[in-house]
Amino acid sequence: MTGSTHWVEHMLFKGGGKLAKGDIDRLISRIGGKFNGFTDKDWTMYYETVPAEHLETALFVEAERMRNAAFEPKEFDAERTVVISEREGSENQPEFLVEEELWGTAFHVHPYHWLPIGYKQDLEGMSRDSVYEWYRRWYAPNNALLILVGGFDPESAMGRIRTSFGPLAPERIPHGPRATEPIQSGERVSEIHKPGEVDYLEVGWKIPDWRHVDIAKLVILVGVLGGWRGFSLFASGGWTPRANRLYRGLVETKLASDARAGFELRLDPSLLSVSATLTRGVKHAELEKKLDAIVRKLKESPPSATEMGRARELVRAWNRYEVDGVTLQGFHIGQLEALGSRESFPQFLETVESVTPEDVREAAATYLVDSGRTTIRYHSEGAA
Amino acid sequence: MIPRPDRMELKGGGRVLWLPNPASPFVSFHGSLSAGVAAEAPGEEGVAEFLSRLLLSGTKHGTARRLSQSLEGRGATLEFHTAEDLLIFRGRTTRAAAGTAFGIAADCLSNPVIPAKEVERVRGELLTDIRRDRESTREHAEKELLARVFPSGHPYGRDPKGTEESVTSIEPRGLLEFHERCYRREGLIVSLAGDVDEGFVTSTVAKALESIPEGASPDAAPPPTPERPSAGFVDLPHKSQADIAIGLQSIPRNHPDYYDLNLANLLFGVIGMYGRLGASVREEKGLAYYSFARLRALRSGGHWSIVAGVNPVRLEDALRAISEELDRIRERPFTEEEIETGRLNQIGGLAVNLERNAEVAGALHGMELHGLGLDFLARYPEIVKGLGRESVQGAGERYIRKQDCSLVVAGPIGGRTFAL
Repeated sequence: MTGSTHWVEHMLFKGGGKLAKGDIDRLISRIGGKFNGFTDKDWTMYYETVPAEHLETALFVEAERMRNAAFEPKEFDAERTVVISEREGSENQPEFLVEEELWGTAFHVHPYHWLPIGYKQDLEGMSRDSVYEWYRRWYAPNNALLILVGGFDPESAMGRIRTSFGPLAPERIPHGPRATEPIQSGERVSEIHKPGEVDYLEVGWKIPDWRHVDIAKLVILVGVLGGWRGFSLFASGGWTPRANRLYRGLVETKLASDARAGFELRLDPSLLSVSATLTRGVKHAELEKKLDAIVRKLKESPPSATEMGRARELVRAWNRYEVDGVTLQGFHIGQLEALGSRESFPQFLETVESVTPEDVREAAATYLVDSGRTTIRYHSEGAA
Repeated sequence: MIPRPDRMELKGGGRVLWLPNPASPFVSFHGSLSAGVAAEAPGEEGVAEFLSRLLLSGTKHGTARRLSQSLEGRGATLEFHTAEDLLIFRGRTTRAAAGTAFGIAADCLSNPVIPAKEVERVRGELLTDIRRDRESTREHAEKELLARVFPSGHPYGRDPKGTEESVTSIEPRGLLEFHERCYRREGLIVSLAGDVDEGFVTSTVAKALESIPEGASPDAAPPPTPERPSAGFVDLPHKSQADIAIGLQSIPRNHPDYYDLNLANLLFGVIGMYGRLGASVREEKGLAYYSFARLRALRSGGHWSIVAGVNPVRLEDALRAISEELDRIRERPFTEEEIETGRLNQIGGLAVNLERNAEVAGALHGMELHGLGLDFLARYPEIVKGLGRESVQGAGERYIRKQDCSLVVAGPIGGRTFAL
């Protein structure tokens, strides 16, 4: 059932074991902390940021809910409307519908086919027992990463961690073969027609998983194409890079009111995507023609030295900015550890630094190809 | 121990505040001029936002491309935004690139050119954004609520973007006139946090900012007159979810009741997963994914509001639950335990909410804007500890009044109307 993992995340705020319903909220709020959880395509993350002297409270919460969440049937049923409401709120945004269609069209077999929130019909039929079983199967200390960042003494913190998590039993984690997406052999196109006033376009190209040697080249390619905005999910904020080919080709020319390029570091082969909001009166075909020309140029000739320097500098800059504060550092380290190891990240950044203009051209020629492309056109039809 | 920031007054007007963080490899900055929506004269609706979007489109000393190449080639960011009272500029830069970043920021503020091509680009961008907002149930409900809470034409009730009509009719001459009148150094406030010290501020930041033209700031917005509560219903039949927005005018930031009301608001609809409101509407009744309250205390007034995203079938249930929570402010006063939890949250949250350079820079800016004093962060715990149950409860009852709230519902409502 799609959406199980995300539903588990919701239930982990509802008590169990030594935590009564509402306790997490009360315990963390009372010390001025902030807390939340996020379900990603590859991992689920929970966090608390608390004053340093209250580390123990955060460890208690995480250890307790790792194995002892209650999943009370009444609470589970009450949460159904909340999860569906979250999905319906997203459905109100055309960008969400485009994103869901992009991944659903680009991936037929791999679980990247659906977004973490899941499909509404699955959410409507989800049973407590199936979600609870999912939780018990995957939530165990031997399948978890614990990241601590901030003002603590490592030795004493390790003592507390052992006390909190040591008693938790490991689980036999299923390590079967991961689903492999069959090779795509032609462009896929999907059209969405909805009432509204603004049109959107998103194009995705298949790219390899994050361990692949070409990922470093794709980082610089994205920097040249749309401006680099960091690896982490939450660091970039609303900043709009302008010194890049998409901005100049699509926004300065008034074909789009915004345009961006990017990809997420993923455990399995994923997508590099370009998205744009069309200026009123502009047809998708006009925008795509220009985008095709931008992509063709990237494939035909290497970027200039100035473009390369700028892309490298943006990567360096975001590597500083996206670890500002303990929360973002925790997110960043957690993401890297979930993918493999943060130990290898400096080496990865060195590889990014060494990418040549010809590497970028080659990466564009290899990955920005029609056989691996998925195009989603969102057509707004008639003002509501 | 919370360190005390430093402050410098610029010759000819303007103030700079800074708080070093020696561990940080970069500096975040947060600046403003008194050139927000409140500075717009009648007939200038939307001009402040339009101009702020053009500031990176070229100056007398550099084209748009040169500006973006210089900033991004050095890994610096710079953004301009328009708020009710202020034009805000903020960004991040290394110390090595700071001369360029602040030089460009000052140049954009002092010497903008208004290229016709860029005017048309921004016009298209704004029109698209206005249409996009109209399609968003939440944006639509919140904007419509503000228009009902404040008197017609008051800057706090207007969408900074203006309307399709105003955006369509804005001319370059009007933008230049607004710039000439409002982009003046008297109201300039710039705060910095991170890799910063006095020498850096003097040699790099102040030097750049002193090129901004001297002169007096526009007057602050007039305090809004009271407005009778009203209701509005926006049918967007193709949407999945409806958004409810409920609210009324509130107090300015420098009002003596601010801290009491802020704590009452925290307990009502902010703390944890959104206070009493979230506990009832989301946790207990499962009616919404989000349901929270917000207090926005500005220079000349403010507003308090609730926003909730709700399945259209359950709108009546959600409104009933919200209405009950509003009644409970009087019927079930905040307990001593709630008040203590709120106080502890605000005191503990001081460190937690100032963990990033940008958050520190934003806090310093607010301190200067509202005249809170350089020792504000150090005093804040004592201010909060001094908030008593009676005064917090009193503020809640005085300023969160259901009978004075306006209501807007936007979404697939099928022609229905609602009441609190």
